Amino acid sequence: MKSRLLNDLPELLEHNIISNAIASDITAYYQSKTKGQSSRLFTIFGVLGSALVGLGIILILAHNWDNFSKLAKTVMAFLPLILGQVASGYSILKKKGIVWKESSGTFLFFAIGATIALISQIYNIPGDLSRYLLTWIVLGLPLIYVLKSKSVMLLIIVFATYYACELGYKFGYGGKAPWLYPLILLVTIPFYAHALQKKAKTNSTAIFNWLYAISITIVLGTFINSNWSLGFLMYAMLFSLFYNLGQLPIFNKYQLRRNSFLLLGLLGTVLLLLILSFNTIWKEMTNDHIVFNSLEMLIGIILFISASAVMLYSRKYKRNSKFNPFQYVFILIAVLFVVGYSNYGLGAIFTNVILFLLGLAAIKIGVNSFRFSILNYGLLIIKALIVCRFFDTNMSFVLRGLLFLSIGLGFFLTNFFMFKKQNELNRKILK
Amino acid sequence: MKTIHIFLIFLAVALVQLVVPAKMIFDKEVILKTGTIYKFKTQPIDPSDPFRGKYVTLNYELNTAESMDSTLQREDRILVYLEIDSLGFAQVHSVSRTKKRMDIDYVEAKVQWYDLKDKSVRFQLEFNRYYMEEFKAKPAEEIYRANNRRGDTINKTYAMVAVKDGEAVLKAVFINEKPILYYINTQDK
Repeated sequence: MKSRLLNDLPELLEHNIISNAIASDITAYYQSKTKGQSSRLFTIFGVLGSALVGLGIILILAHNWDNFSKLAKTVMAFLPLILGQVASGYSILKKKGIVWKESSGTFLFFAIGATIALISQIYNIPGDLSRYLLTWIVLGLPLIYVLKSKSVMLLIIVFATYYACELGYKFGYGGKAPWLYPLILLVTIPFYAHALQKKAKTNSTAIFNWLYAISITIVLGTFINSNWSLGFLMYAMLFSLFYNLGQLPIFNKYQLRRNSFLLLGLLGTVLLLLILSFNTIWKEMTNDHIVFNSLEMLIGIILFISASAVMLYSRKYKRNSKFNPFQYVFILIAVLFVVGYSNYGLGAIFTNVILFLLGLAAIKIGVNSFRFSILNYGLLIIKALIVCRFFDTNMSFVLRGLLFLSIGLGFFLTNFFMFKKQNELNRKILK
Repeated sequence: MKTIHIFLIFLAVALVQLVVPAKMIFDKEVILKTGTIYKFKTQPIDPSDPFRGKYVTLNYELNTAESMDSTLQREDRILVYLEIDSLGFAQVHSVSRTKKRMDIDYVEAKVQWYDLKDKSVRFQLEFNRYYMEEFKAKPAEEIYRANNRRGDTINKTYAMVAVKDGEAVLKAVFINEKPILYYINTQDK
């Protein structure tokens, strides 16, 4: 991108507005600026190019050429791998820049996949997709650290998610909990933590934020087996953990759109509560026999403890900040499940109350801090709640009427008190 | 960390990346070279894998065995001991959860269900993927169908499998003593 100023330099020089020295300084400044930009662009294109070439090789090999001899096929299998290794080794040894490292790392990652795919084909190696993906991920994982490669990190998280879904989501067809998925994520955490500390403002770190949050949200469901109703508890606790993570100083300094944990936690909690606000859901849930010593319960409890720990930690850092009900809502939800399992009608009512209070709280925070995004979010929660109740045919008309009445009354009262408070404030100022 | 150290770690990683596929090849070659060959009666159906391409799934006729072990459950692993019947095809000698002290070849299989009434176990053999060239997997299935009409006892489709120490490698799929590729190639002409 050329600056207009750069175009105008000859004219400015001609009219003696600036000296030659200043002109060359300006040119040098813009040149150094574009240099950084072009290297970033080169990196993106390099990575995209290597990824496409790597995938292309895999697809060509997947044709399963039977005219070639076994030896020819084996050589073909190792060729891209060795090529990728030489390129990566060269970029480490010669201390090449990001462009080299990212591109060669991406290519090598796909080359690993191509090699083991072709060998599976030659020898008809049994085993489903998940086992193949796991071998691929494990062989590619160290590249994150030796090449300091963000693109390989990105690929590893995407492929680990793919692996977990492939293994876990079989829909009653013998899906297994992908226990190696959390282990793979754990190995990537030091790289992520380093990026959060040292390169917090970069786009790649923001992408990691989103990638982790989305991947974990997708994969958590694979750990739900027969106790599906406890899945709601697991997800509620996960979203609360996300929200509290988003409140930590390390994430809180981000713009909202980069703070994936806060956003996903906020949206997830409300969406989940909206689902639970239906009477029928609670009825179905209480019909399901709850097993307390199940994996689902254990994960729910672990997530609850983690959310509490993160919440306490974040409160310690921001002792002066105001009370934020969204941070504590998971405790209410835990109580809600105890109540709901003993009496489903009560569970539904309690959910509605929690949602209503959350909506009010958001409106209050929004009004006090003059942040319209929060105010509107609060209004949205209450509107969604009203719409949901309108379609809830299982509830008696009297109960529905009472609910609507109380919501209306709530609106009236909050507005009334707010108005009164404002008037009092105005009066005090006048005095 | 110095560049040379990172490079040395990278060399180790690269070595592992080379050794793992090489070991896969080596293990399979040993079985192919020194293992016993068995023929398993089968029928091929064609699905596909996003990274490894087209293959045919082999549904083996050898899929049930008598067993008194009623604790067998879905996804359990069992060992299927093999013998050869009068027509030269593989048949079950016995099944067991653990390794028996017998000098008979065996392969691993995944339990599908246990039939309490018949006191038998239904299982699936592991080596049921036969990778084929992209446009040949579907014809393979059709050729099998053409050669195996209902009640047909003359035509035989079978998989040739090398077995050694509980490991198996699928060599080829045959219809009446000729590899399935032979039929596809003659059909093309």
